Amino acid sequence: MIPSTVQVRRTPSRFKHRVPKYKVIRSDACINCGTCAKTCPYGVHERVDGHNRVNPPIDYKCIGFECQSGDFCCVARCPRKALSLAPNPMYETLGDPRWTADMITGTWIMAETGYPPKRTDLEYNVGNSGGGFDKLRFKFPAHPAHVEKAEISTAIQLNRRNDGRENVVIATPVYGGGMSFGSVSLPTMVSRARNATAWNTFTCTGEGGYPEALHPYDDHVITQVATGLFGVREETIQRVKIIEFKYAQGAKPGLGGHLLGEKNTASVAKMREAVQGFSLFSPFPFHSVYSIEDHKKHIDWIKEINPRALVSVKVSTPNDVDMVAVGSYYAGGHIIHIDGGYGGTGAAPDIAKKNIAMPIEYAITKVHNFLKDEGARDAMTLIASGGIRTAHDLAKAICLGADGAVIGTAELIALECVRCGNCESGRGCARGIASTDSELADLFDEEWATQRLVNLYHAWYVQLVEILQKCGLKSVQELVGRTDLLEHVDYSR
Amino acid sequence: MPKKYHVHTKVTPLDLDYIFKFQIVRRENCINCGKCTKVCIYEAHKRRKDDPRKMADPNTVVCRNCFRCIQECPRGALEMSLNKDFLNIGGTYWKPDMLITLWKQAEDGKVPVTGAGYRGPFSGEGFDSMWTDMSEIVRPTRDGIHGREYISTSVELGRKLNHLEFDGNGRLLSTIPETIDIPLPVIFDLPEAGLSSNVKAAMVKAAVELGTYIVMPVAQITADFERFLDHIIPCLAPAEIEKQSIVLGRARMMAIDYTGELPEDFPTLKARIKSVCNALTIIRVPAKSGVEHVVSKLAHSGAEIIHVVADYRGREVSCSPPPSPRLIKDIIRAVHMKLVGDRIRDEVTIIASGGIAMAEHVPKAMLCGADLTAVELPLLIAIGTRLYEEPERFLVLPEGVENISVGILTQRIVNLMGAWHSQLLEVMGAMGIREARRLRGETGRAIFFDEIDNDTFGKLFRKSEVANV
Repeated sequence: MIPSTVQVRRTPSRFKHRVPKYKVIRSDACINCGTCAKTCPYGVHERVDGHNRVNPPIDYKCIGFECQSGDFCCVARCPRKALSLAPNPMYETLGDPRWTADMITGTWIMAETGYPPKRTDLEYNVGNSGGGFDKLRFKFPAHPAHVEKAEISTAIQLNRRNDGRENVVIATPVYGGGMSFGSVSLPTMVSRARNATAWNTFTCTGEGGYPEALHPYDDHVITQVATGLFGVREETIQRVKIIEFKYAQGAKPGLGGHLLGEKNTASVAKMREAVQGFSLFSPFPFHSVYSIEDHKKHIDWIKEINPRALVSVKVSTPNDVDMVAVGSYYAGGHIIHIDGGYGGTGAAPDIAKKNIAMPIEYAITKVHNFLKDEGARDAMTLIASGGIRTAHDLAKAICLGADGAVIGTAELIALECVRCGNCESGRGCARGIASTDSELADLFDEEWATQRLVNLYHAWYVQLVEILQKCGLKSVQELVGRTDLLEHVDYSR
Repeated sequence: MPKKYHVHTKVTPLDLDYIFKFQIVRRENCINCGKCTKVCIYEAHKRRKDDPRKMADPNTVVCRNCFRCIQECPRGALEMSLNKDFLNIGGTYWKPDMLITLWKQAEDGKVPVTGAGYRGPFSGEGFDSMWTDMSEIVRPTRDGIHGREYISTSVELGRKLNHLEFDGNGRLLSTIPETIDIPLPVIFDLPEAGLSSNVKAAMVKAAVELGTYIVMPVAQITADFERFLDHIIPCLAPAEIEKQSIVLGRARMMAIDYTGELPEDFPTLKARIKSVCNALTIIRVPAKSGVEHVVSKLAHSGAEIIHVVADYRGREVSCSPPPSPRLIKDIIRAVHMKLVGDRIRDEVTIIASGGIAMAEHVPKAMLCGADLTAVELPLLIAIGTRLYEEPERFLVLPEGVENISVGILTQRIVNLMGAWHSQLLEVMGAMGIREARRLRGETGRAIFFDEIDNDTFGKLFRKSEVANV
C-alpha cells in the first residue's frame, strides 16, 4: 500500500536541458517550413511565430531511432530530407560502467514523472559493470499465482526481536543512507527527511550532527553514532526511533570518515563542535570497540539512553562479515546494515573505493545464510547497501537474502547529481547537492527536491510491485532469499 | 618509537600541454549571453580579453565535468565530448585514466580522493580480480591496536636462515647472512634505454631520497653517479664481475640476468662475487611459463634475491600463444606457492615487476606472495611521459625534457612514490596489518574474484554439476 501522504506530481529538471542521447542534425537543405515542429510530439522542434528560422533541435527530447517506426518521425517527414539522427557524442561523457548514462537518464525520468520511463531505448535497470547485480536476471515463473497489484504489500518490519521495543514498519523496503550535514547541503537533508516522512520510511543524518531543521521529521530520522562522535548528544539520541552505529563505510572500509577542511564551514563546525576550516577525521575503528563484548556495551548504552529505539549496526563487508552480523545479533542489535565496497561517498581515496572489501552481492548471501544457520535470521533485519542503484538491484538484493536496502546515490541522482565526483573539492558540488557553500547550497528548494524523491520512490515501488506480481507474491517479505527467482548470465546457461 | 619514515612531497607542476578527458566546444549558435560564466564554478568560461562582447573558447583544463553549462545554456550551444587524445593514450592495461591519475600524483604527491562511489567495472583481469580485505569488530586488527603512525612499510632483502643451529653449550653455530632493509617495498627497475642524463640523474636521486634502490646497467653508471652507489644496483653479465670490481666493491646489491646454467652454478658464481665484493645478488628471471620451477631451483642452490620480471603489461614474456600468457598476479602466486611447497619460501626474497602501475598493485603483489615490487614505467610517467600500447609499446617523453631541472624531475618521482606510500598505509591500516613484511602471501587478507564468485553465484546458479552427477 502506498501511504496516503504520497502524491506523485510531475517535477521537471531544474535545468533547461538534459544530457541528450541523440543528436538531431539539420542540414542546410532546411527551408524552415516547420513540418518537423508540427509532426514531432515530443517537442524537439520549435517553430516560433515571427521567427525566420526553426529553432535548433532540442536533442534531449528526442526518443531516438525507435521513433522511425512511428509515422510522425521528423526524419521521414521532412520534405527536403534535411534532418538526420545520430547518437550524441555528449552521451558518452555521462555516467560510467556502474551508473550508465541510461541509468542516470532513467532515474531522472523517474524523479520527474514518478514512473519508470516508457521509452524502450533506455537500459535503466541493469548497469554495465560486468559483474554482481549486472549479471543477475529475474527468472519469473511461467504460471505465477494470480495476484492483484492492490493486494501486494511492500512493507517490512524493522524490529523482529519481540523485545518490547517499538514495532517499526516501513511502507517500502528502502530507506535513505547516512549523509552528514557538511557532506550534503541542508536542503538536501531536509528534502530527504520529508520524503522519508511521506513514504513512512527513514533517512539518516550521517555523522555530523542533527540539524534543528530535521526536528519536525524526528520519527523518520535515523541518527548516526560513528567513530568521531561528531554531533552526538543524548538529547538527539532520545529524539529518534532508530539509532545507527556506523563501524565502517563501504566506499572506504577501515579508513574512517574524512571531511576536508574546505567543507568545514562555520555552520558545519558549529554543528560538529569543531573548529572551522580544519579537516575532520572520524577514526577507524571505534577505539572503544575491539570485540563483540565491547560492541554489546555500545548497544546497551544506546538502549539505556533511549528505551524505545531500535539499534542498527552499519558495517562494511570484510571476509568475515557473517561473523560480525551474528555478533551483532548476540549483542542485541535489531538491524544489521551491510555496506558493500562499491557504495557511495562524499570523499574517499580511489584506492579504497575500488579495492577494499567485497561487493555487496556476495556479502548479502554470506550473511543471510550464516544468520540462518545460526538460527538468528528471523530475529534480525538484514539491510543491504553500497551499489543498490535501481529497483531491480533492490529486488535482486532481496532475492539474495536481504530484507530491504539503503540507498544514497540514487537519491542524489534524482536531485540531478551527474556523478562528476567533485563533492569533496573546493566549494563542493557544482549542482548544489553536496555542498554547504552559501551560494551553492541554495540552488534548489526543498519542495522541488522532496517531490523528485517522492517520485523516485514511487517509480521504484511501481517496479517492485510489478516484479512481485510476476512472481505471484503478495508481500515483499516472501521474496527474501528466493534465489530460485534469479539466474546468472554466466552460470545459469 | 623509531624515526618515522616520511616522504617529503611538494606540489610540482610541469609546464606541459596536459591531456584531459573531456572537451567542451562552443557552437556557432552561441549568443554570448554569458550564462555559462555565471553557472560555472570552475571558471571554465570567460569572456574574451580582446573583445568582451564575445565568449572565449572554453578552458577545458579546469572543467570538472559538472554539466552545468551544458544544461543551462539557453541555446544548447555548448557540447561536451570525450577528448580523442585521451582515448588514444595508454591501452588495455595502462588505461588512459590510470595515466591521468599518475600524472596528478606526481604533481601533488597526494592520495587521489574523489567523491561518489567506485565507477569502474565489477572486476577485471589480473590484479583487478582481487580485493584486499579489511578488519572489523571481530578481528579489529591482526597486529594489535595501532594508528597509522605505527605502520611500517619496510621490507628486508637477502637470504634468510630456515632455522638457527647451536652447539651443545648453546653457542650459535649459524652465520646469519647480511640483509638490507628498505623503507618502501618498491625499488626502481632498469631505466629505459636512451634517456637523457637529467632524467637518469632524477631517478637515482629520487631513489636516494626515498631510501630505496635503482637497478642500472653497469655501463650507465658514470662518474657522476658513483657517489650514489650505495643506492644503485649495478646490473651486469657474469663475465663482467671481475672487470667491474671497483663499482661492485661500493655497491650493496648487484643484479645478474638469469641464464640456463645459473641454478647449478650459483655457488660458483657467488664465490666469484664474494672475491670482489660483499654485495647481495639479485637474479633477474624473465617470467616465462614454468618460471616457478626456475625460481625454485635457484632458491635451492642458494640464491638470495630473485627478481621475476614480467612484461610491461604484467604478462608472461615471449610466451607463444596459445596457451594465453599468465598475468603477474598468477605468476607471483605460482612462484610463491611453489616455494612454500618446497619449504624454502622464507629463505629467499622475491621481487616482482612488470605491470606494477598503480599504488594498489604493490600490496596486491605482496598479498600474492612477493616480498617487494619493482617499477619502471611509472617513474617515466611521473615526469610527464605518455605511454601508448598500440600498435606497439611506445613512449613519448615530454618535449624538451632534457632541459627540465633534475630537481623538478626528482621531486615528481618522489611525489608519486610518496602518494603510493600513503596509499599503502591506507590499505594496510584497513587490513589491520602493521608491518609490510607480513603482507607477503597473506591471502587470508585478500578476496579473490574467482573463488568468491564461484562460492556465491556458482553454487547458487550453476546447472551443469547436477547433470554431471
